[in-house]
Amino acid sequence: MRRLLLALALILTVAPAGAERLVSTVSTPTVQITSSFDGTVLSLFGNVESSVPAIPADGPFNVIIVITGPLQDRVARLKTNAYGIWTNTEQVSFRQFPSFYAVIASGKLGDIADESVLAADAIRPEDQALIAAKSIDFKAQRFGSELIRLMTEQGHFVVREDGVRFLSNTAYVAQVTLPSDVANGPFLAHTIVLKNRQMVAEGSQGFAVRKTGFENFVFVASRQQPLLYGIVCVLLALGTGWLAGVVFKR
Amino acid sequence: MRRQDAARLVRARLVQIYLPIAELSMNLFFLIGIGGAVGFLSGLFGVGGGFLLTPLLIFSGVPSPVAVASVTGQVAAASTSGALSYYRRDGIDLHLALYLILSSTIGAMAGVATFSLLRSLGQLDLFISVSYFLLLGFVGVLMMAEALRTLWRRRSGVVPRDKSASQHGWMHGLPMRIRFKKSRLYISVIPVLVIGLFIGWVGALLGIGGGFILVPALVYLLRVPANVVVGTSLLQVVAMMCVTTILQALTSQSVDVVLAFCLMVGGTIGAQFGASAGKYLRGDQLRALLALLVLGVAIRFGLALVLPPGDPFSMALVTPGGAG
Repeated sequence: MRRLLLALALILTVAPAGAERLVSTVSTPTVQITSSFDGTVLSLFGNVESSVPAIPADGPFNVIIVITGPLQDRVARLKTNAYGIWTNTEQVSFRQFPSFYAVIASGKLGDIADESVLAADAIRPEDQALIAAKSIDFKAQRFGSELIRLMTEQGHFVVREDGVRFLSNTAYVAQVTLPSDVANGPFLAHTIVLKNRQMVAEGSQGFAVRKTGFENFVFVASRQQPLLYGIVCVLLALGTGWLAGVVFKR
Repeated sequence: MRRQDAARLVRARLVQIYLPIAELSMNLFFLIGIGGAVGFLSGLFGVGGGFLLTPLLIFSGVPSPVAVASVTGQVAAASTSGALSYYRRDGIDLHLALYLILSSTIGAMAGVATFSLLRSLGQLDLFISVSYFLLLGFVGVLMMAEALRTLWRRRSGVVPRDKSASQHGWMHGLPMRIRFKKSRLYISVIPVLVIGLFIGWVGALLGIGGGFILVPALVYLLRVPANVVVGTSLLQVVAMMCVTTILQALTSQSVDVVLAFCLMVGGTIGAQFGASAGKYLRGDQLRALLALLVLGVAIRFGLALVLPPGDPFSMALVTPGGAG
């Protein structure tokens, strides 16, 4: 209900000023993983246009791009000392949590967007953690922020508030780095255009990270023919060991 | 193209390699290097080296199910070349190995079942750390004490008796005696089968070959002579790792053949040098060095249990089988 009112309010305030729409694209629709894959950099381009041809789009605009990777179930655990031994004693599960999450913006999130806009799309990583924890209690918040810290340390969560560069009043470019251990699967880049801290347009592009060639063959074989795959591994091991024995025979 | 340029090209192309099951890329030379270092030790001592390699890989960022499952392939390969070189030197008791292999295969199946049970109960990590610490600590202390006693005796001029051939423990006299010609033993088959079962169970549970337990068990419990103990142990490790690799490929589907192959290439080469180096050391010296290594890993696990962790928080991916 609140969201509906908010949307209504947005339409009322934004529409008279001129309706903007977003044209955007991503540099690589399919990121192909080959044997030498070591992470990659993607570019995202876009232009804010007016939907009414007579009136040109009028800035200044701000842009927030949220890139979400395939969802996974994760747990965050805390070690505590019990009877002199450090063990995992507490844990919080995060269901359907993004394996990759990047927020790239043209300015500080709090400066360029109203808190209501940020909250409506759960843009801040902390919001993602609370959604995945299905809870807003203190424990979920604490473990959620620690999980985000761990993901950030590994390069899977990124917040870059100077990452979107405007080439003109309306055209922008942004870059995002996918780490070498990025999860395979569908990714979504959701772009929000802001004016006077309110959303005026939005758009989404999907892209995929996918193994190709030999890497894909190995992965598919391990899932579809596990027995054969295991036997091949064993034969490879025995063969390698035997070959080394022959080569090094003195 | 000049040779230098070609070398540079190869280095640039091959330095990172993508592991399709682990879904990350690693440095090729690092993988071959740790494979080689652990392979050297495996050839030298006749142990698989899994108890070193698995923690090393996990520490390097490989997800633990992938590390455990892929190391079994590498251990099989490194032990194969070791076992072959012992076979050529006539250092394997095939008869004894057959009994060990059969019983440890049954043990491994029980171990895989216990593994899933513990996983569903939670605290698998703690169980593994404590088991590593207790098992390695116990075996390491025993081996070290024995080796030091032998070394000290040798130094003080007392010629150590060859205990292996004539001494009999109570467990040798149990029923169902069998003659193992190569080992010059006429002993009950029951302790042989029990040892095999236990090694198989522990190996599958902890993701190790179990050579470092099997070698002392054969030496101290069964009195297998030193000239066949390492070769027989290696053959048993090869067989058990082959069974475990197939079981892992079927159940957890986390055997990374690319990772395993990189480790194998390093491991098999290292194992050759290890087996050659082993010829220049006496049995008691070898056992003392292995004891040091085993104790070192035990202390490492022990410290991790009692020292405050650098980061009290950790995260894990939840796979269909449970949290890793």
